[in-house]
Amino acid sequence: MIDNMPLFGQKLKSGKFVVTSEITPPKGNDISSVLNISDSLKGWVDAINITDNNRAVMRMSPLALGKILADTGHNVIMQMTCRDRNRLAIQSDLLGANTMGIDSICLMTGDHTTKGDHPGAKPVYDLDSVQLLSMVKKLTQGYDFSGNQLEGTPHFTVGVVSNTDISQKMQMMKLKKKAEMGVDFIQTQAVYDLDQFKEFVESVKHLGIPIIAGIIPLKSAKMARFMNNNIPGIKIGDDIICRLENAKDPVYEGLAISAETINEIRDICNGVHIMPIGKSLNTVNLLEMAGFSPE
Amino acid sequence: MIISSSKSFDEILESLKGENNIFVIGCDVCAAKMHTGGEPEVKDMCARLEKAGKNVVGWALPIGTCSIHSYDSLVEKNTNIKKADAILVMACGSGTSIIAKLVDVSVYPANNTDSLGGIYQGNVFHAQCAMCGNCTIADFGGICPTAQCPKGLLNGPCGGSMGGKCEVNSDMDCVWELIYQRLEKLGRLDLLEKVIEPKDNVEDNSV
Ligand code: SF4
Ligand code: SF4
Repeated sequence: MIDNMPLFGQKLKSGKFVVTSEITPPKGNDISSVLNISDSLKGWVDAINITDNNRAVMRMSPLALGKILADTGHNVIMQMTCRDRNRLAIQSDLLGANTMGIDSICLMTGDHTTKGDHPGAKPVYDLDSVQLLSMVKKLTQGYDFSGNQLEGTPHFTVGVVSNTDISQKMQMMKLKKKAEMGVDFIQTQAVYDLDQFKEFVESVKHLGIPIIAGIIPLKSAKMARFMNNNIPGIKIGDDIICRLENAKDPVYEGLAISAETINEIRDICNGVHIMPIGKSLNTVNLLEMAGFSPE
Repeated sequence: MIISSSKSFDEILESLKGENNIFVIGCDVCAAKMHTGGEPEVKDMCARLEKAGKNVVGWALPIGTCSIHSYDSLVEKNTNIKKADAILVMACGSGTSIIAKLVDVSVYPANNTDSLGGIYQGNVFHAQCAMCGNCTIADFGGICPTAQCPKGLLNGPCGGSMGGKCEVNSDMDCVWELIYQRLEKLGRLDLLEKVIEPKDNVEDNSV
């Protein structure tokens, strides 16, 4: 079985620590800056996670960019939200992606259309993320949603996203439902509070699913405060905010904080997912600071 | 009941451009309760239309505009409807479409139809049911996520829920918070563990 598993999936299964990073497709057909970023990541990351109209802002399809990056030798994790496609469209995109060499996916509900740059668009949400997982499971068993047999069965390494605040009981219940559907990795919301993260890891240990910790380097105290107030599940302590406030170079300080976080959680999770908002080229600096070297 | 809201008078006037002899029809059920088509609103509309230079030939207030018996029953209420070359309906979209089936002149809506909701202790509740055609509200303690979650999620909240509020509108409770509280009170939190299958949209008889 392991033979036809995706490379990224194989590494995950082997228990080795994985590093992934995120690329947001361009709004337009100029992929030069995206290619600069992906080139810089070569050897440093095990897979590149490509967002799907994230924040409901219209961009190039992750399927198209995924194919381009796969062709340049990257392992790609294609994100797929429930917002823009019904069950037919999702399945046909997944089959297409798989056939073109994209065999890892990360599934999520997706921010509501009203939060993005096409607020009048019809939000689809034909399936929710649990139902989407169940449909993917069927595909990997050789059947479509309606039970029709497929001509060729796709294989996917399947990830889901999760908050790490275990006091959010409904969120944790939903994660449990997702786990029941068969999940290969859990990618978490950005980690800043180590105790919260440890509690989370402890509480989901019994599920036996590899956990990839989200890392978003902070760029300023202002950004930290904004995230505390506006991003669910984020808890950035005063000590961190203080460090950023007093730093001569807050961007560097933010990277240093992230590097420390990575080293503190390394032993209790299975990987990190770096989301350098707007500063993709800093990913390599961060990995270097955290003691990684290119393969 | 149907939750409706009034269109702006400017929009109504613009839609009636070129129409002169106007008959106004309200609805004495939902629209009356919403103050978008009861007797006071209908009379006020007639006065404003007159002031704006329209000839209002008359008005009528059926008990339920969506369930009118026949054209004759409208004529019985007010024979002046025969003089109308346009009808302005102050009801929901359903009432307006029924009127359009009965008359041979143009029909215009004065209201926007927002959702299927209700009134309880004087408070208006929007979007309590989305009329999906396969009611599974018992799974959620009597609070419908198909209607009340902007994403219609059936297996728990999205990641955007913060402090019990909805990602889409922070003045609104996340319906999953309400469902959790309700099921906790009922001692039925076990219901939340059930994986709910996607809606079968064939059962939605609206199309
Ligand atoms: S489950 Fe369907 S019918 Fe029942 S309340 Fe919700 S939308 Fe209405
Ligand atoms: S916050 Fe709650 S009600 Fe709002 S979209 Fe998400 S799950 Fe639905």
